[in-house]
Amino acid sequence: MKLRDQLWLSFHNLMLHKIRSVLTSLGIIFGVGSVIAMLSISEGAKREALAQIESMGVDKIIIATRKPPPTGKDVSENSTNSNLETFGLTQADHDHILHMDNVKSIATARDSRKSILRGTTRLDLNLFGVTLDFLEESRSEITQGRWLSPLDGDRNVCVLGIDAKRALFSLAERDIVGKVISVGDDAFRIVGILENAKGTTIEGFGSPNTAIFISKAASESIYGRTSVTRVSGRTSIEVVDYDCFIVKVIDVSYIDFTSKRIAAYLSKMHNDVKDWEMVVPLDLLKQREQTQNIFTVVMSSIAGISLLVGGIGIMNIMLANVYERRKEIGTRRALGAQKSDIIRQFLFETIFLTSIGGFTGVVLGLCIAKIVTKYANWPVAFSLWFIVLALVISAVIGIIFGTYPAWKAAQQNPIDVLRAE
Amino acid sequence: MAQAAAGKKEALHLADIRKTYHTGSFDVPVLKGVNFDVMRGEFIGIMGSSGSGKSTLLNILGLLDKPSSGEYRLDGINVETLSDRELTTIRNIKIGFVFQAFNLFPHLTVQENIEVPMLYAGVAKHIRHKVAAEMAEKVKLAHRLDHRPNQLSGGECQRVAVARSLVNNPTFILADEPTGNLDEKTGVEIMKLFHDLHAAGTTLVMVTHNPQYEPEYDRVIYLRNGKKWRVIDNIQHKTEEFET
Repeated sequence: MKLRDQLWLSFHNLMLHKIRSVLTSLGIIFGVGSVIAMLSISEGAKREALAQIESMGVDKIIIATRKPPPTGKDVSENSTNSNLETFGLTQADHDHILHMDNVKSIATARDSRKSILRGTTRLDLNLFGVTLDFLEESRSEITQGRWLSPLDGDRNVCVLGIDAKRALFSLAERDIVGKVISVGDDAFRIVGILENAKGTTIEGFGSPNTAIFISKAASESIYGRTSVTRVSGRTSIEVVDYDCFIVKVIDVSYIDFTSKRIAAYLSKMHNDVKDWEMVVPLDLLKQREQTQNIFTVVMSSIAGISLLVGGIGIMNIMLANVYERRKEIGTRRALGAQKSDIIRQFLFETIFLTSIGGFTGVVLGLCIAKIVTKYANWPVAFSLWFIVLALVISAVIGIIFGTYPAWKAAQQNPIDVLRAE
Repeated sequence: MAQAAAGKKEALHLADIRKTYHTGSFDVPVLKGVNFDVMRGEFIGIMGSSGSGKSTLLNILGLLDKPSSGEYRLDGINVETLSDRELTTIRNIKIGFVFQAFNLFPHLTVQENIEVPMLYAGVAKHIRHKVAAEMAEKVKLAHRLDHRPNQLSGGECQRVAVARSLVNNPTFILADEPTGNLDEKTGVEIMKLFHDLHAAGTTLVMVTHNPQYEPEYDRVIYLRNGKKWRVIDNIQHKTEEFET
């Protein structure tokens, strides 16, 4: 029997019992559907996390100042209602790290003023004194005007992050370069707008989009090393040289070694006071990938079980189908159908069932993922490979669970089944 | 006709066909040495009461079962040593089956039902269509090609089955009680159809227990107790009896 005729025959037989065919493949539909939905959601989460990690740049080590616990050694109490605290990354740390082998450069940021008001409203913005290479190291771009320049010296000029611009100006005010903003008692002329489209978040710094940038020189001349905050009548003075280092390493392969060296150095110099924190994007990336691999194994196992259950359901129904269609099988055998024709007929029916079920499951899974994206606002990513994988697995399940019923059908003795009518 | 048949080529040759079923520790001999030949163009009736072995003989003739011993030659081919695949192929192209219960596929049209044996012979679609239409014409069902079996009468269903048995131009038609499920009038019509085919040169072997049609066959072979015990030759008007 020709393959084309065989395929048509199997498809025709399935179409005779549409409802039964749909019910039979429900297990596969839901199995594949849930697999696709879960894969899309996990892939989305993975991609977002990886993009965030990668946006920091894998050839970098980020070191941030952390306020140590109150019992720290460097904390000296001056009075009952004011604290002077000296902690964090220092100029000496900067110089030492910069001279280490494999370190190419260090971009620094100093959180010069932590609270910025618009009228009486406290804005969620920070004023940072940064080195000029901060733009590149934070992977941001200038969308309007220019970045800080060496010629600015310690002049009061600033660059606004895009979200800072939105917070400070109304939407109607588009061309704000040249305008002046007031931060406390100081005024800064805006020279440019910065945007970080990659969603980079830097430890100890946050998103570049929500920052106001001034040059390191201006920061030092205006604010010095101290920052004063007053909470509930209690004044706290913090002396910090740097809030953040973005250490660029000559080559990614040195990251591990260099980060260990820096950590050892800082521990020693800071007398084991944990007033700093190190983030290595490459390590995060590796950890994330490892977690993802475990997740994938768990997901695959769950998917495997649900598909196994679906497959067994199909086998069960196909076996009942064979019994029900003994007369047809016997007649076909008497009329000249080879055993192999019968095997192919039933096997193709099962493969059709699982493949159509698999395809429907893929559509269902994509719909679920879409709905999740819409209502739960989770990132969802579709990948062609797991759609192809789902279809291939469905077909393979058809072959695995269809073979026995098909073989059983071919073993029917035409004499018995013709006599049984 | 007998003279003509005598000069004709052999279609079937059965020599000392025996069949014993093994049920547990018992051996049940069903056929105990059956001998006869069928010439091309002959119309043979095989009769016998229930348990005489005619169903077993039908299965052996139709290559659905193998004899325990003896020689069965179909169109000159000794089928004894053939594999299941070869037997199926021969069944497909050399034997046309007509069943008592018609055994049509209810979900297929008349046209598609007639085409089934050609499907297994790997005949191309356009040829299948053409041959099926010709065969439907032959059994006077050309106007019913698009109908399904449930839209046909019993007699028409059996006509479709006859048309289906003819499509691969088989060596002989093997009919198992073809009128058994039909009323008398329709049964007579179907017998007439078989006579028409016979007149056109088709070899027919009909297994039946209905003695009503006895005079219509060229020869009637009676089975009793697993053996041939009487042969009525309607051409030569001769009856032979054998010990059983």
